Amino acid sequence: MGLDGIIILDNMGRPIIQSGFRSSSTAYPLLHIDTVNKALQKAASPKEIDPVLYIAPYNTADDPKPSACCHVECGDIRMLCPISGDVDPLTAFAFMQTFIDILREYFGTLSVATLRDNFDVVYQLFEETLDAGGHPLTTSSNALRDIVLPPSLLNKLLNVTGANLTSTMNSGLGHASGPFSSPIPWRKAGIRHANNEIYFDICEELKAIVNKHGTTVTSIVRGKVEANSKLSGTPDCLLTFTNSKVLSDCAFHPCVRLQRWTRDRALSFVPPDGRFTLFDYRYSPSAIMANPNDAAISARDNVAIPLALKTNIDAEDNGASFDVTLSSRLSTHALENVEVELCLGQGAGGIKCALSRGLGGGGFINASGRSAEGTAGASWSYDSETTVLQWRIAIVPPSSSWSLRGSFTTSARVPRPAHAIVVRFEISSHTFSALKVDQLKVTQEQYKPYKGVRGRSSGVVEWRW
Amino acid sequence: MANPGQDAKFFQRGKIEEFRAELHAAEAKDKKFVKRKMVLKKIVANITMGTDMSPLFPDVVQCLGTPLLEIKKMVYLFLVSYGRSKPDQIHLVIPNFLQDCNDRNPLIRALAIRTMSYIPIPVVTDALTDNLRHALKDRDPYVRKTAAICVAKLYAADPRRAEKEGFVEMLRDLMLDSNATVVANAVAALCEIGDRQDGVTFRLNLTIANKLLAAIPESSEWGQIYILDSLLRYVPERHADAELMAERIIVQLQHGNSAVILTTIKALLYLMNYMENRELIEYICKKMGPPLVTLLSSGPEVQYVALRNILLIIQRRPSVLKNDVRVFFCKYNDPIYVKLAKLEIMYRLARAENAREVLAEFQEYASEVDLDFVRKAVRSIGRLAIKVEAAADDCIQALLNLIETKVTYVVQEAVIVTKDIFRRYPGRYEGIIPTLCENLDALDEPEPKSAMVWIIGQFANIIDNADELLDDLCFTFLEESTEVQLALLTASVKLFVYKSQAEKAKELVHKVLKWATEEVDNPDLRDRGFMYWRMLAVNPTVAGEIVLAEKPAITTDSDRMDRGALDQLLLHTATLGSIYHKNPETFIRNAAGKALMDSPALNPQSRAVLVPLIRTQLPPTAINVPGPGPVELKAGDLSSPTQAPIPPSKSDPSAESNSSSDASISEPSTSQRTVSSLEDRNASAGNDPYSNLDGAFGTYMVDEPRPMTSSHQGRHGDDEDLLF
Repeated sequence: MGLDGIIILDNMGRPIIQSGFRSSSTAYPLLHIDTVNKALQKAASPKEIDPVLYIAPYNTADDPKPSACCHVECGDIRMLCPISGDVDPLTAFAFMQTFIDILREYFGTLSVATLRDNFDVVYQLFEETLDAGGHPLTTSSNALRDIVLPPSLLNKLLNVTGANLTSTMNSGLGHASGPFSSPIPWRKAGIRHANNEIYFDICEELKAIVNKHGTTVTSIVRGKVEANSKLSGTPDCLLTFTNSKVLSDCAFHPCVRLQRWTRDRALSFVPPDGRFTLFDYRYSPSAIMANPNDAAISARDNVAIPLALKTNIDAEDNGASFDVTLSSRLSTHALENVEVELCLGQGAGGIKCALSRGLGGGGFINASGRSAEGTAGASWSYDSETTVLQWRIAIVPPSSSWSLRGSFTTSARVPRPAHAIVVRFEISSHTFSALKVDQLKVTQEQYKPYKGVRGRSSGVVEWRW
Repeated sequence: MANPGQDAKFFQRGKIEEFRAELHAAEAKDKKFVKRKMVLKKIVANITMGTDMSPLFPDVVQCLGTPLLEIKKMVYLFLVSYGRSKPDQIHLVIPNFLQDCNDRNPLIRALAIRTMSYIPIPVVTDALTDNLRHALKDRDPYVRKTAAICVAKLYAADPRRAEKEGFVEMLRDLMLDSNATVVANAVAALCEIGDRQDGVTFRLNLTIANKLLAAIPESSEWGQIYILDSLLRYVPERHADAELMAERIIVQLQHGNSAVILTTIKALLYLMNYMENRELIEYICKKMGPPLVTLLSSGPEVQYVALRNILLIIQRRPSVLKNDVRVFFCKYNDPIYVKLAKLEIMYRLARAENAREVLAEFQEYASEVDLDFVRKAVRSIGRLAIKVEAAADDCIQALLNLIETKVTYVVQEAVIVTKDIFRRYPGRYEGIIPTLCENLDALDEPEPKSAMVWIIGQFANIIDNADELLDDLCFTFLEESTEVQLALLTASVKLFVYKSQAEKAKELVHKVLKWATEEVDNPDLRDRGFMYWRMLAVNPTVAGEIVLAEKPAITTDSDRMDRGALDQLLLHTATLGSIYHKNPETFIRNAAGKALMDSPALNPQSRAVLVPLIRTQLPPTAINVPGPGPVELKAGDLSSPTQAPIPPSKSDPSAESNSSSDASISEPSTSQRTVSSLEDRNASAGNDPYSNLDGAFGTYMVDEPRPMTSSHQGRHGDDEDLLF
């Protein structure tokens, strides 16, 4: 029952640290590590192996039960979560994601080096977040910080000067505001900030597939509102939007009162302290015109793709030539950090490319402080291992067009480049939904907090040819 | 100095003796216990690396008296790792345990209780029992919530003791605690106990279920999962109860945690079995779609789990995502396991209304690079033609275009599915046979080859050069696989029946029959050869009627799972069972099976196909053959090896279900029930020796089209519920 434990492997597949596997023999975690490593060796690419690996029972007399291993890769580590019994693999994945978030929050970055440097803290985190029976326990970082001290700068300083913070904890005094004394599980009592401020980042991502005729086959914009709260006491926030109709399929942080949202589409919440995702949503353009209850994603729900791609690939014997033109369809904003990827297929080589910039392009309101003119900022590269040709353009001003011409050779007679080009881009100070905050009211506290809202978009478009 | 953040240096193997010496040295002049802390860190680092540090047991436990939480934690960590293996030395620690159980700091009280519960040694369990009882009533919620989980641990170590000491009842009382986390953990512990084969049955009544629901908003996401999951232990007696409860939990579909969403969906699917209000059911189905789609924007791992579950859900509730086929369109850089799952869902969601766009996608995939995926895509085009009649023309055209590419594996797949299309639409597409025949040389695998041979044989009357083609194919008869040989045998007989006058056909059938009966070792082939031979010899006309008898048209409607099996599998939504599409008790040892419980509110269709739960308690016969994939354990393997004596029921089970004031926790008379269910099985087996075989295939996902007639009968009762 429950998650059996967590194992963290380094990029060589060796275990760095693992939670105590108490309900099983010592061979059990090793079996899982072995299985994952074997699967990794066998697979062409590490991302192609099944995320839930079935593990046949090892036939020892005491404990011959089969199990499964859920695993995710994260930076240069891989996290494993063996499960046996009828457990929800999503719980395993959700828990691993939460644990990764906790580690990030504690150590800033997550890597083999930071884990080794802080293994005692990681151990304590294992103890508090995952019970040996496999029940996730405390994962809210606000509560965790009371029980497991993060290796903060302050903590380091105190250690150097000989003072010890943990000893004060040990005294058993001052526990009026001890762990879990707060009535709200995600926010501890008695938070104080010198400056009371709260910021919201609205981040939206467009995912779309465009067919070879230039018609959008499917497009979906998902957004999330990330908040950074530095408010004292127990503030009760009420956030309203001028155009909340564009929001559909919302999923909220536990702090949001769901009933209130259902009633009048206002977000009422007592925020956790620090960074958190307030909610995420799907942008539904149709909702403006049609009945917002109609959840079905239909054709009119398509979001305009902010760019256009013209592709011409001529396959020849042992090679092909290509001509790709990218143009912006935006009129006021620039596309930034544009990456165009074309997978050329096995045995491709001898790449020749020429970049040029077409007409168009004027002033734009975002991406300020970066040079706007000139072909500078466009470049290409080729990764022979993944056979991906990548074309990068730092800034694509409104209505400008850019092109990439070239050719490649293949070892096989018929070249087999992928039939889709993937374009990634970002747009700062822009959201697809034009979601606008109406107001944020903070009650229950006397102060007037400083408030800020920013928008940011990104997109991944698969353009078939 | 043991500064945090610079501890990588501890990761070097040390010798036991050195550590021991260092620990002793640290006893003197250890200002703020810095030295001890450092040695302990080294020891813990060595445990991490897999070095056996257990010889240090007496030395390490000495440090337990150190008044520093950090050190205590590390010693407890050591105890958890090695406590179990040191039953002779564990008594050294007991006084410390007892002391810490009464510490002023709730963290230390909880730590002591938790650590003790990890060490299932009688001495420790004895010490734990009293302290656990106090901890369950501790004034600090942190201690109470920790203690709740510890009850499940104690139960695992010694079930009868835990019951005798009244811990189960105490857990039940904790479900009414004022703190939501405590409530959730009590539920989790009870579920864990209830899932054990030797555990007490854990059921909820309406009052308690409602109380638990009230705790959801204040719970952490994990607490919400426990509570929502426990709702499956509540059997609604009235439609209105189920409907009201569904309305209360539906709001959880908006939660940010993917596991909460899927658990909510599981609970909703379960409650829907007990509902009457069609409009509400439709409304819930509609509400379940968007959160499922939301899961697809997560990482590939979550997507995979979500997709496997969606596949199950849409088979039982087709209206859930019926308008959302586009979200399942594959991206070319999706991992292969995501692509394959999406492909299957697209096929299941295909209808006349969206067949065109689905087909366009399948065609796109058929030009991709990954071999396995391309094959499945081509096959899906054929299945689409069979499933959606309106799209059949377009699908055939698409297949012909693919055959023209001359890419070997594409052609082979196309031939396989074309065979099924001929059977589905007899007399409609035979015009494409010449095109197929042109590509005979491309076929080098048994399945496409035998499909092609079937086509030639079946339509030998309209293929002018059928005799030549078959003759060519028979050239390598003796080297072919059995599958192809069987097909060739039948085809040449069909050819002969069609063209009994032609000399060439006569020659061919004679040659093949001779090979089949004289040269081949395979008894199946030989017997079929003899059969045909006698039939042809005795009465060629009748033989023709038999061989070319009209075949039932096929459909893909039936390649859904059996309804009863689906209902049962959906109780496992989001769990391993839903990934493998098998009931967990068949591949997980000691997993208690789940079954829909009958109640006055259960809807009639579900009752008609109810799969009763069989709790097997047979002595184990441990024969395990290791192999890939989940092994379906034999019934005997499921039971726990030692059957503990079961105390008599506290109350009559029927009275239990009527009592409304309390959660009913009853000791099941497991042995009795098992006997009766086994008798049932035997009785039914007595009537019909094959009656048990249904189950053997019930949980399989069948890809193959099946005869239309049988499926119509089978589906009759479901129609109302399953149609869009």
